[in-house]
Amino acid sequence: MRTTRRTFVHGSMATAAATTALTSLSWRQGMAQESGGTLRAVMQGDLRAFDPIWTTANITAYHGAMIYDTLFALDADMMPQPQMVDTWTVSDDQLTYEFTLRDGLEFSDGTPVTSKDVVASIRRWAVRDGAGQHMMLRVKDIVARDDKTFAIELNEPYGLVIDIMAKTSTPLLYIMREQEAMTDPMEQVTEYIGSGPFIFNREETRQGAQYVYDKNPNYVPRSEPASGMAGGKVVKVDRVIFENIDDSQTAMAALQAGEIDFMELPPIDLLSVLEADPNIAIDVLNQTGNYGLMRLNFLYPPFDNVKARQAMLYLIDQEEFMQATFGDPRYYRKCPSNFACGTPMENDANTEWFGAAPDPERAKQLFEEAGYDGRPVTVLHATNIDFMNNAAQIVAQRLRDIGVNAELATSDWGGVVTRRAVQDPPEDGGWNIFITWAGAASANNPIALAAHAANGTKGWFGWPTDEKHEALRDEWAAAQGLEAQQEIARQIQENAWNFVPHVWLGQWVSPVAYRTNLEGILKIPEIIPFWNIEKT
Amino acid sequence: MLGYIIRRLGSTVLVMGIVGVFVFLLLHLSPGDPAAIVAGDNATPDQIAQIRERLGLDDPLPVQFIRWSGGVLQGDLGISIFSNEPVAKLIGERLEPTISLSLTTIVFAVVIAVSFGVLAAWRAGTLIDRALMGFSVLGFSVPVFVVGYLLIYLFSINLRWLPVQGYAPIADGIGPWIQRLILPTIALGLAYVALIARITRTSMLEVLSEDYIRTAKAKGVATRPMLLKHALKNAGVPIVTVIGIGIALLIGGVVITETVFNIPGVGRLVVDAIAKRDYPIIQGVILLFSGVYVLVNLLVDLSYSFLDPRIRY
Repeated sequence: MRTTRRTFVHGSMATAAATTALTSLSWRQGMAQESGGTLRAVMQGDLRAFDPIWTTANITAYHGAMIYDTLFALDADMMPQPQMVDTWTVSDDQLTYEFTLRDGLEFSDGTPVTSKDVVASIRRWAVRDGAGQHMMLRVKDIVARDDKTFAIELNEPYGLVIDIMAKTSTPLLYIMREQEAMTDPMEQVTEYIGSGPFIFNREETRQGAQYVYDKNPNYVPRSEPASGMAGGKVVKVDRVIFENIDDSQTAMAALQAGEIDFMELPPIDLLSVLEADPNIAIDVLNQTGNYGLMRLNFLYPPFDNVKARQAMLYLIDQEEFMQATFGDPRYYRKCPSNFACGTPMENDANTEWFGAAPDPERAKQLFEEAGYDGRPVTVLHATNIDFMNNAAQIVAQRLRDIGVNAELATSDWGGVVTRRAVQDPPEDGGWNIFITWAGAASANNPIALAAHAANGTKGWFGWPTDEKHEALRDEWAAAQGLEAQQEIARQIQENAWNFVPHVWLGQWVSPVAYRTNLEGILKIPEIIPFWNIEKT
Repeated sequence: MLGYIIRRLGSTVLVMGIVGVFVFLLLHLSPGDPAAIVAGDNATPDQIAQIRERLGLDDPLPVQFIRWSGGVLQGDLGISIFSNEPVAKLIGERLEPTISLSLTTIVFAVVIAVSFGVLAAWRAGTLIDRALMGFSVLGFSVPVFVVGYLLIYLFSINLRWLPVQGYAPIADGIGPWIQRLILPTIALGLAYVALIARITRTSMLEVLSEDYIRTAKAKGVATRPMLLKHALKNAGVPIVTVIGIGIALLIGGVVITETVFNIPGVGRLVVDAIAKRDYPIIQGVILLFSGVYVLVNLLVDLSYSFLDPRIRY
């Protein structure tokens, strides 16, 4: 047989068409079979570690919320409600909290949840959690009275016991079996037997590709309707799979094609494409969102001088930072409160600078008053995360605009995380400014968020020191009731914007996208819940 | 020949050893601390120090190197800092997708490119030649991720013929396996089609001007045997060399393609590990890549003597 151009082209086309037709048919058949009780979700990143106490990565906290339950939980109004706890009492002297676990609590292996499991879980968590450490300074003992009752005995009254156990900032107080909870908090547990609404299916999990969670038949939900992280965690799908799709455009295409049902972080600049698709809904689940934060190093000039730190308040235009990364004004806002906006502790004390900023002339004058001598100001610059990349460049440029010799120290976020812990002078590997973000809901609590501390070199990066601030935080922790806390929060903020532990760069929310055949998605700060969701 | 192979295999071990030392030093001397990443945003300096100690990262570098290299010599690549799983297991889980994508890409590229190259040389100077070479330039010039997104847009979102992303193990059946590899194979393969087609054409043109081809034509040998049996085999050495280089270059292309099409292969494993400073994984994967690179070059060298009996080792 002679090979001609025509036979060559025809043969190639026929082969390609046949292969595509056959595989396309089998793929579409597969899609139809999969649509039953399995919900496929693309979350914010890869679930690299499974122990939600060992690492504070948000994605591991999501994993924790799937397979573990908590003693208390925040409802949709961010108020703590009992979850695994049935009833609890506080002694008249406010020194003893006694808790009774609700009936029917079991781990996914069928063994009952007992007070011993709870006590061990609290102890392990408290070593790793800042708020837990703060609480443990006031704790005399945690004891299991019997299988269903345990008590926290305090040395002094402490108003945050319930709030801290309910908080959603990482690490959450997840309840594990005693044998896992006895693991060194600095090492990972190796078994993942949970107390929550899902079971982690390790056999079908493929690390780096997909993480599989099956409905836990042993889980008994509360009878109240689901609200935030609280209420009945009723699972309405058979299985949830976290698909790890690194590339957000690919994930978006998969959502449009119906290969996945839920996408936590669709790219903001491509939201209009999803909004135009009638099969896709866009919604903001975390209404308080995140806030951007610029930390200033208190240990070295120029920010060892309060005037230089105050200058930064006047230099920063939050609108500019938000616009550079988030673009769409529906999803960001400027916020002057040190407790974030939309939270119970939000207030407007001492925010005169907010109305005046940006005021580069004032900032320049304050730098001069601080005795700035032209030395380099090192700005840590993470290039692999959009917000941090853009924000660092803007900060450096605005500093240069007023004559400050700003230098970008460029690396990836891993490099910034390492360098920000260095307490040496900037010229010896330290730094002057670094930029990060955190969940705005956690900013509401001056104890839970490490960035709220001003306890010097043993505290959080930047190492601010302010005795009045620390005393006010302790007062806030001891305060009884929301109104008392709000009053102290005003005093904390009044003082904070005088000594300036950090500078806010704005607050934003991240909309999620999902197929319109999902119903019952709950709105919770900082955790994405997969109970209560139906796939129709 | 046997002695040559043994010597080359010996040099492979040497190269992997040098790569191991280099990678270890590069990683540990460059910025980044897995303990700080593990500890998270709210960690205090004390907590970071405790985690560093538990992970053995506060030991002197020579101690850490001896510990790691001692394990490697016994076939133990270490434990992932984050997932707590053996690195060999993690790499093993990721090998199948990467090998599958690499093999389908090589087969696709070689079949299409050699056909294009032979056809272009046979019809040199015609519209076909110019069209095929123009296509080659295009394939070489457009980045993998652009081709990838265009293919997804056309075949997955608009036509709904093929899935957007993911990988199905071959154990699930040939159908699901191939359907998830078609688009990534085309996206990754186009650059290699271009590379190999151009070399094939050049090499074929040179051979087609040889006297023995003219003699074959004069004797009435049909076009197909003349092209494939007489000309292509004698044009094979540079083509095989380029294919070998292409396989080595695939390692880089696979990383991007695996990301665009969400294929859980070795490329994505190492990219994730770099972001998190998961040293044992990075070291293990780079050792593997270096071994593959050296072995592919050995195979290419050995194939020369098959294509050209005058070459002896």
